[in-house]
Amino acid sequence: MTEIPTLTYPNGLHATQGSQRGALHGLTRPTAVSDTKIAVRELDFHYGGYQALKGISLDIPARQVTAFIGPSGCGKSTLLRVFNRIYELYPGQRASGSVQLDGGDIFAREQHPNQLRAKVGMVFQQPTPFPMTVYDNIAFGVRMYERLSRARMAERVEWALRKAALWDEVKDKLRQTGTALSGGQQQRLCIARAIAVKPEVLLLDEPASALDPVSTLKIEELITELKRDYTIAVVTHNMQQAARVSDYTAFMYLGELIEFGDTRTLFTQPAQQATEDYITGRFG
Amino acid sequence: MSLVSTTEHTRLLLRRGLRIDGLFHGLSAAAAVLVLLVVFGVLAALLLGALPALQRFGFGFLISDAWNPVTDDFGALVAVFGTLVTSAIALCIAVPISFGIALFITQLAPAWLKQPVATAVELLAAIPSIIYGMWGLFVFAPRFAGHVQPWITDHLGQWPLLGPLFQGPPMGIGMFTAGLILAIMVIPFIAAVMRDVFDIVPAVLKESAYGLGATTWEVVWQVVLPYTRSAVIGGVMLGLGRALGETMAVTFVIGNAQRLDASLFMPGSTIASTLANEFTEATGELHTASLIALGLILFLITFVVLALARLMLLRLASRQGTVG
Repeated sequence: MTEIPTLTYPNGLHATQGSQRGALHGLTRPTAVSDTKIAVRELDFHYGGYQALKGISLDIPARQVTAFIGPSGCGKSTLLRVFNRIYELYPGQRASGSVQLDGGDIFAREQHPNQLRAKVGMVFQQPTPFPMTVYDNIAFGVRMYERLSRARMAERVEWALRKAALWDEVKDKLRQTGTALSGGQQQRLCIARAIAVKPEVLLLDEPASALDPVSTLKIEELITELKRDYTIAVVTHNMQQAARVSDYTAFMYLGELIEFGDTRTLFTQPAQQATEDYITGRFG
Repeated sequence: MSLVSTTEHTRLLLRRGLRIDGLFHGLSAAAAVLVLLVVFGVLAALLLGALPALQRFGFGFLISDAWNPVTDDFGALVAVFGTLVTSAIALCIAVPISFGIALFITQLAPAWLKQPVATAVELLAAIPSIIYGMWGLFVFAPRFAGHVQPWITDHLGQWPLLGPLFQGPPMGIGMFTAGLILAIMVIPFIAAVMRDVFDIVPAVLKESAYGLGATTWEVVWQVVLPYTRSAVIGGVMLGLGRALGETMAVTFVIGNAQRLDASLFMPGSTIASTLANEFTEATGELHTASLIALGLILFLITFVVLALARLMLLRLASRQGTVG
């Protein structure tokens, strides 16, 4: 693993600031921030002429849930879309700066996006089951990377569905089309689909905002469950949700990272006035 | 209970407005009904005109390959066979090419190239069919007969099963050439429908597949195409509807022989080409009635194909709400 330069911010913001403050209050969790999964340095992002991200730097810790909050258009979804380079599908969108996954440069010329996406899975706001059976929805991604026998594939499908807490509900419906499931089930199907390829990072872009409260709760429980094995980055509009599911929270505003730290500190003792205004509902 | 009070003046205005509204309503309804009347009128006229032939030959008209104005013996088999075979050839060639065009325009082409390519393909539809016919007869057929046909006959002609399809003298004209010209003519229609339906696949659905590491081909083949399947079939049938009824270009290049032949290189005829060739020269009542009966068959086939096409296209539209 290559050495990642320590963060220095002109405004005194520091990626580890939150946890240091947390340490003072005895709030840090056993896993330290030093176990970094994704290291972002001076990341800029442009949609054509519009700059959506301005000099973002932060370290996303491994096997923790990091939440990204902020008002609409603050760039939190854009940031997520950089991590698996999905933005590259659209001409005119470009990122500059550095993003390292386990010390490897994700922008490296020889880094093929599909190899990256095998490690970094993504789930979107809208459930997006493919127009095929529940089984094939899960097997779709697996077939991209592995040649499995029929039995092994069936095992993998069951494993992924169990991980996504969906197996009991769909085990008799594996041959039905994925679009026939309920919205909440569809979303867990999409999570199962992302898990099935055994990624290391899961990017969740407002995974519960299109769902009813019960389904939302299930997704949140799932996130908590999954962080034992995966590094999770979740974008959410819902601050209570961020407070409930995440270990670390990043507050973004107008394309800049305003504050990043462990969730409890950020929500109880924010260092920045803007953060406090946002989490207390004064704007956004 | 009394009404909300209004002045005499506003009541008058309202009444006049309602009268104009009623008139407008009636006029537009009449326009819509007129179309239906025309459709049924055409159907009735065809039935009436074809009656002598239908009475004389009955169901046998459909399965008889006779077409002899001298002995007054007529059957639709040759023309129906030619129509179906040329249309099938057209689809076999046009569908993959249209798919490629639509795929390129919607998924692969850089933004600046999309519109020019789309426009160029649509312009194919602007070429009058008689120009296609002339090009086929004077430009394509001689070259095809001189260079391509002998080679195909020499090689594919010897194959078992497929061989008989490619035998016969290299004349250039025939059912294969007609199918090829038809293919060029229906490509713009099929490609346009495919392009439109590929474009309405939700971006987030494609991103999900790309996000799992799928390649463009895998996304198109396993996500875009299944998602739009019914509409794509609808588009293909729209093209089929065009191919079935196309007259002028086919009449130029098909050879117009009332003969059943397994070889695609042999001349044949379609319903439309038979009608175009013989209608002005039909003398006997039975000859005319038989031609009208052919027209009736074409009308029914095309009607069913186009109705199915519409149905298929509607199915995607109704599913739009469920995903994305």
